[in-house]
Amino acid sequence: MMEPAERALFARTLGAATEERSGAALDAALLELGWRDALTDDPRAAVSVLFEHLGRTASTSTALDDVLADALGAGVGADVAMVYPALGRAEPPADEDGGRLVVKGLGTARLLRAGTALVVARGPGGDVGTTVKTAGLRVRPVLGMDPGLELAEVAGTATSASPPSSLRPGAWSEAVSRGRLAVGHQLVGASAAMLELARRHALDRVQFGRTIAAFQAVRHRLADTLVAIESARALLDEAWDDSRAETAAMAKAVSGGAARAAARHCQQVLAGIGFTTEHPLHRYVRRVLVLDELLGSSRSLTAELGRDVLARRRLPSPIPL
Amino acid sequence: MELPEFRATLDRWLDEHAADLAPDRSLGTLDEHMAQLAKVKRLAYDAGFMRFGWPERVGGLGGSPLLRAYLGEALTARDLVEPGIYSMTETLAPTMIDHASPALAAAMVPRLLSGDETWCQGFSEPGTGSNLAALACRAVEDGDGWRVTGQKVWTSLAQYAQRCVLLVRTGPLDVAHRGITALFVDMESPGIAVRPIETMHGAPEFCEVFFDDVAVPAGRMLGHEGQGWSVAMDLLPYERSTALWHKAAYLQRRLGDLVEAVADHALDPVQVGETVQLLAAFRARSRATAHRLAAGERLGPETSVDKVLVARAEQAVFDLVEAGLASDVLLEEDAAASRWRSEYLFSRAATIYGGTEEIQRNIIARRLLDLGDDR
Ligand SMILES: Cc1cc2nc3c(=O)[nH]c(=O)nc-3n(C[C@H](O)[C@H](O)[C@H](O)COP(=O)(O)OP(=O)(O)OC[C@H]3O[C@@H](n4cnc5c(N)ncnc54)[C@H](O)[C@@H]3O)c2cc1C
Repeated sequence: MMEPAERALFARTLGAATEERSGAALDAALLELGWRDALTDDPRAAVSVLFEHLGRTASTSTALDDVLADALGAGVGADVAMVYPALGRAEPPADEDGGRLVVKGLGTARLLRAGTALVVARGPGGDVGTTVKTAGLRVRPVLGMDPGLELAEVAGTATSASPPSSLRPGAWSEAVSRGRLAVGHQLVGASAAMLELARRHALDRVQFGRTIAAFQAVRHRLADTLVAIESARALLDEAWDDSRAETAAMAKAVSGGAARAAARHCQQVLAGIGFTTEHPLHRYVRRVLVLDELLGSSRSLTAELGRDVLARRRLPSPIPL
Repeated sequence: MELPEFRATLDRWLDEHAADLAPDRSLGTLDEHMAQLAKVKRLAYDAGFMRFGWPERVGGLGGSPLLRAYLGEALTARDLVEPGIYSMTETLAPTMIDHASPALAAAMVPRLLSGDETWCQGFSEPGTGSNLAALACRAVEDGDGWRVTGQKVWTSLAQYAQRCVLLVRTGPLDVAHRGITALFVDMESPGIAVRPIETMHGAPEFCEVFFDDVAVPAGRMLGHEGQGWSVAMDLLPYERSTALWHKAAYLQRRLGDLVEAVADHALDPVQVGETVQLLAAFRARSRATAHRLAAGERLGPETSVDKVLVARAEQAVFDLVEAGLASDVLLEEDAAASRWRSEYLFSRAATIYGGTEEIQRNIIARRLLDLGDDR
């Protein structure tokens, strides 16, 4: 566990790194700054700090691979390229039968560079984790809504480079939960950045002889944005205190919903200037749309939660005071 | 006592005394709810639980406010008290402790905790709801005390109350909040008339209160003359911390009751999921606030976020009730249906009392987002 002073220093240095760098340069800087040690030593502090900064700066990193690899016990010594479920999904990204894997999913930029990838597959005997050669798979850089995120799409049939090892039941779900918290923090960071952009604009922009911050319609949109961000933060915090997958799923869903609300309100307040590529807002709007879909969207997670509650006729039991 | 030990001891006591604590009959009217509240407070006070989390100088047994938070949670979760009427204790006892003379606080707070007395909060007036600083109920100095003349409205539980925390104008109107003073008034005083008001949820929750030259001794002033505004502002974070935690326990219970009772396919899973998430987010926020209070942090305008969240969660829960149990809420007369109907209707007020949703967003914009004045 990090001491408060240590944590503050870590936050400052990571904050500076994410502001100055992005992509491969940022990944190199993170290694140098001891991000992976921090991840194994104090995952809560490391993940919440790094991903909130990634969200705020809209910088790009492959660090999510480390988060899942660490949660799966794959070790974070080397650059492990993870395969993620396809958009909006959370099941393992492959099916396994007799050592043959049918893969369909997403990856970070690491997947484009690396020769091998870590794939979790659902097989007849449960989940297995295995390393596959990427050469036999179709790997395509994703541009789409947010080219800056540097995602890759992967599909194809592969044979394991090493014998698959069985994962203990729940291992994949725990890794997904970790990933959801990381992406949740990133969504919250991006939402906070959008709110700050809109707030500054509201205080600077003059119409009808006053700053638009004086208009209650504008103020209330920004207030609602803050309320949405604070509820996401509260649930993310609670999810770290509570190890259940259900809580992490709620935190991810609420973070995604908050980010969508922030994008809607802040875009409206920034109006014309916010619609241009000269203004940074569009980068956040694009990013949160994709992040919301990664590892389960707010929409799908919410519907799934509702169906579970109705099927069990019981609410998730909350953690005690 | 620490929270884990308190929790275990209290839970055991609640189990052992379940029969004594249970309502004598099914609760319908506000009179019955008030009698039940007084009974439960008395039993919990005599057993010591109601005294934990309160300072020794007002008859408490000390310990963290988390103990109070858990007590209210446990009583609400077991459906022994209704959190709205219980919340007056959490709101008004801290006000007395912080602002009354030590002797007055020591004499009065135990009566509130033990259930011997009910207190009310006289802020709103016919002409001032949201714009509280414009209140007009006037107190003039008279020898060694005050004489109060004016009217309050929507004063919850005034018809049951022995005392009232009352905001009055002692300075000129044009200095707005600086001319306000807080008084602790005996409701038995000559010159006070109370008229309960029928409400749409079927219980006379609040009253009009008329003051006609009512004498209030000087020792009943809370804080200093002209400082009533800060007494009122200091009260709000209490209203939005422990009391809201109790509300979370209540909403958790009722939403749980709904998903048990509802017919198959009567509810839209997305609406269920959204409501569960809203409630979980509010509860998580309120839990963090309770811990900040316990750590001795000074709570302030950030509790407006808690207030917005509780109102949204409460209305979402009862929107779902109305959707899933439409015939109970709309048509039936049995006790369970009447209760759902009354609670549904009461939930409509969640964005009104304690500062409307719009006022909370104004506070968030000005105080938390630093957007300056709205003109
Ligand atoms: C169930 C219940 C219990 C209550 N209990 C008590 C009690 O115990 N003690 C007590 O003193 N009071 C009590 N109240 C009164 C409550 O505090 C007021 O109703 C509330 O503050 C709003 O005042 P109002 O009703 O006069 O509405 P108004 O202030 O007239 O507001 C009407 C509408 O205008 C909006 N509005 C007003 N000003 C602004 C603004 N500046 N910006 C944007 N919108 C604005 C409001 O949000 C609202 O939608 C209770 C009310 C209810 C419903």
